[in-house]
Amino acid sequence: MSKQNKQPLLQRPAVVGVLASLLSIVVGLVLGFVLLVLLNPGAAVGGMRAMLATGFSNMDKLGKVLYQAAPLMMCGLSVGFAFKTGLFNIGASGQYTMGAFFSLLCAIQFQMPWYVCLLAGAVGGAIWGIFPGLFKAYFNVNEVITAIMFNWIGMYLVNLLLANMPNMLASGWGASNSDRTAALNVANPGAILPRGPFAALFGNSSWINISIVITIIFAILVWVILQKTTFGYELKACGLSRDAAQYAGINSKRNIVLSMVISGALSGIGGGIYYLAGTGQYVLEKSILGMGFNGIPVALLASSNPIGTIFASLFISYIQVGGAAMQPAYSSETIDIVIAVIIYLAAFALLMRGIITKAVSGHKGKEGAAK
Amino acid sequence: MMIAANIISMTILFAVPLLLVAMGGMFSEHSGVINIALEGMMIIGALFACFTLQGLDQSGFGPAHPQLSMFIAILVAGVTGMIFSLLLGFAAINLKADQTIGGTALNQFAPAFAVVMTWAIQGQGLTTIFIPNWVRITRDTFGLAPVDGPSFWNNLIFKYFYLTTPVAIVLFIAAYIVMYKTRFGLRLRACGEHPQAADSVGINVYKMRYAGVLISGFLGGVGGLAYTLAAGSGFNSDVGGYGFLALAVMIFGNWKPLPILGASLFFALFKVIAALNATLTFLPKFEGVKEISNFYQMLPYIVTMIVLIFTSKNSQAPKAEGIPYDKGSR
Amino acid sequence: MMVGRDVQFAVDKKPCEVGKPILEVEDLVVPSKVHKNNAVRGVSFNVRAGEIVCVAGIDGNGQSELIYGITGLEKPTSGTIRLEGRDITNAPIRERSKAGMSHIPEDRHKHGLVLDYTLADNMVLQRYWQPEFQNHGFIKKNAVLQYAERLIKQYDVRSGQGPATIARSMSGGNQQKAIIAREVDKDPQLLVAVQPTRGLDVGAIEYIHKQIVAERDKGRAVLLVSLELDEVMNLSDRILVIYEGEIVGEFDPKKTTVEELGLYMAGAKKQGEAKA
Repeated sequence: MSKQNKQPLLQRPAVVGVLASLLSIVVGLVLGFVLLVLLNPGAAVGGMRAMLATGFSNMDKLGKVLYQAAPLMMCGLSVGFAFKTGLFNIGASGQYTMGAFFSLLCAIQFQMPWYVCLLAGAVGGAIWGIFPGLFKAYFNVNEVITAIMFNWIGMYLVNLLLANMPNMLASGWGASNSDRTAALNVANPGAILPRGPFAALFGNSSWINISIVITIIFAILVWVILQKTTFGYELKACGLSRDAAQYAGINSKRNIVLSMVISGALSGIGGGIYYLAGTGQYVLEKSILGMGFNGIPVALLASSNPIGTIFASLFISYIQVGGAAMQPAYSSETIDIVIAVIIYLAAFALLMRGIITKAVSGHKGKEGAAK
Repeated sequence: MMIAANIISMTILFAVPLLLVAMGGMFSEHSGVINIALEGMMIIGALFACFTLQGLDQSGFGPAHPQLSMFIAILVAGVTGMIFSLLLGFAAINLKADQTIGGTALNQFAPAFAVVMTWAIQGQGLTTIFIPNWVRITRDTFGLAPVDGPSFWNNLIFKYFYLTTPVAIVLFIAAYIVMYKTRFGLRLRACGEHPQAADSVGINVYKMRYAGVLISGFLGGVGGLAYTLAAGSGFNSDVGGYGFLALAVMIFGNWKPLPILGASLFFALFKVIAALNATLTFLPKFEGVKEISNFYQMLPYIVTMIVLIFTSKNSQAPKAEGIPYDKGSR
Repeated sequence: MMVGRDVQFAVDKKPCEVGKPILEVEDLVVPSKVHKNNAVRGVSFNVRAGEIVCVAGIDGNGQSELIYGITGLEKPTSGTIRLEGRDITNAPIRERSKAGMSHIPEDRHKHGLVLDYTLADNMVLQRYWQPEFQNHGFIKKNAVLQYAERLIKQYDVRSGQGPATIARSMSGGNQQKAIIAREVDKDPQLLVAVQPTRGLDVGAIEYIHKQIVAERDKGRAVLLVSLELDEVMNLSDRILVIYEGEIVGEFDPKKTTVEELGLYMAGAKKQGEAKA
């Protein structure tokens, strides 16, 4: 490498991106504190402390942070991966739901071990991801609309199927409620994710299992695909400039479909990982699951970078756990306002970053011309 | 026949919010800004309108002048939706930020803000703002004598009649005229198709895009109130995904007013059929299948996808939507 | 001219030594994206090894679509295209590239570069899949960097941070040089160049003209599309005038004048009719 390739640390795009995200977080938290003061001045300091300190206050809470971060990370990876190909996967929710259903189907109906169930979750998500991809590539239908449609279709389909599968429901396994799936510790303990060798570290918190390890592995895998492979090179080229990709002979239709399939599979694993933890049961809902939508802010905060997604999901999960501890002085939704402000600022941050990069390169350009 | 009257009136009731919000999305997108924050705008509009109604109810003004109060609430919904939409405009137009990111932030913000505000005003844990019972238009409103027993016309007109319905019709006609018969509409559409060309003939693209976003905020806010009235059980800090559904209606309607009207009625009809499927004798029964309403709920989405396969080849989407306009770029 | 040295507008050229036909186009019809009629209506010509054939015409007479058809960016309605005797009419773009076609596109921002990729990544846009640059699907980063650095040096592409420069931040002339470096270094049998000097400074124009002539002197076939009559007259060995999607005349630049070309380009004259 010649010396002209070395850029000052503060001018590298990745560093600028991280700085911009951190700045958004700080400003978001400050505005959050202002909000707390406005709502209930007396409790504001205590509330802020709860928001920022609860996650580390004990091992059980930290376990919960990791437990919630895992599915969030998968959805964030899913949305971010699609973003890299120039697609907005607003359908992570439906893919997550399908992943959860496929995983639970294998776990309860077919009594499979956890790793098969997780794989099934990936398949379920991938099936739901292929539709927006196919519709976009071959029928020119905007992927956002297909994804929104398939969020609803997925939710109703899962409700319909579960309602007609008595074996899947809690009522089929000795419990009284028929509005949710059977608890895994009753139906198939073998499908519950292993707690891992580090469970003792967390005081055997009921939240802790290997899900966070699995998701971090996936984050690294996605990073490798995007950064190191010809496939990633093609996907990013399609995302950045479809015309240039076509000019270079890249099959953009194939890449759109593949990208959505992978994106869907990532969301599907998220759904599987959440319900295979054994602590939650899938409840037949009338509204779409929010987890998939929460993947969008995670991806945005991380600028779609897979490694950044690890930290973004941990952060959002951390302050969500903190937000729950702010009750009853504040409603836990206060946290969502803080997150919303951070994302809104992150939208500016992209711009700030553009200005920084532009200023730097513009300066360089002038120097070059002067020579 | 009674059931037909019920279906028609309920369909109109549910079509109104879809129509308003989809028209709002249409204005925004024709100006070149993708408005994914329609859901959030609906929530904000509904939130403040419901507070207004509650306040008017408690002050005694509401029960005394029900439809005037309702009109005030509609205005409040529209104006607050508009103010909220400024946030999208600022991010998307002034700062040239990614429009989906800004919109996502607003969608994240609105329901949380609604919950926090509801708690702050009503007290901890009280998450529902109830709508006063005088808001519905009845025979009494027109000084008509009540009818005894069920009557087709009475059910058709007065069973679910709110001021939002005539307002929506007026707004729809106005929107159509503005979009296609005025200079403003032509300029607005030019900014969504080719902002550089629009700029070159002296149209202020930034101003036009703000106008598009603000109109969508107004219609979105009113649509939020209309949804809350249709849902019936008061405002619970959400609008049931109708903002996203409206986005689908808009695309299904090919970004044009009349097809959007058709698409909203179509979606609403299926919603109603799904809700009433147990009482509709002409529907197939699927003996032995539980929770079949899920199937009917699914239908409009499936039909939409099939229709889109055949129609999307000649999609009329504004060409420059989603691309921030930068005077400097070529 | 303030470029610090003499600039030659006339290009030094040896007489051309024509070889076998490389590109053969027969009755090609290409639809238009703008209107319902065909943009290219039954065009036939060939380009032989060692010559520069220039398609001249007023913008919007089908030359862009003709190139889209030949390079595969648009599907032709009918007709055949052969590259070294091989039918490539419906071949995918990648196949054409493998068969020896290089393409310097009309719009360097739209097609020619992935503007947000680094210069190094752009340099391998047509070749990243070759064994030289990838191993089992993994990109050989060092090979890409070395290759990019060689092209940058050899073709004098100037940029802020060398191979790590984001293409968007480069000047138009250097962007174009990067594309030419990439396309020429592929060692193509046929070089298709569309308005290769549009919007560039005189220094860059001179350089690019030299590169194109050098390709021809190596015995490559060059198909050039230009709207600049000076460029047409200076560079080409044969001129085809296109008018409303049809080729209305073929000229030897040494035996024709700009005025004569202008008449044909404006549709006032047509060779077939003149003979009849």
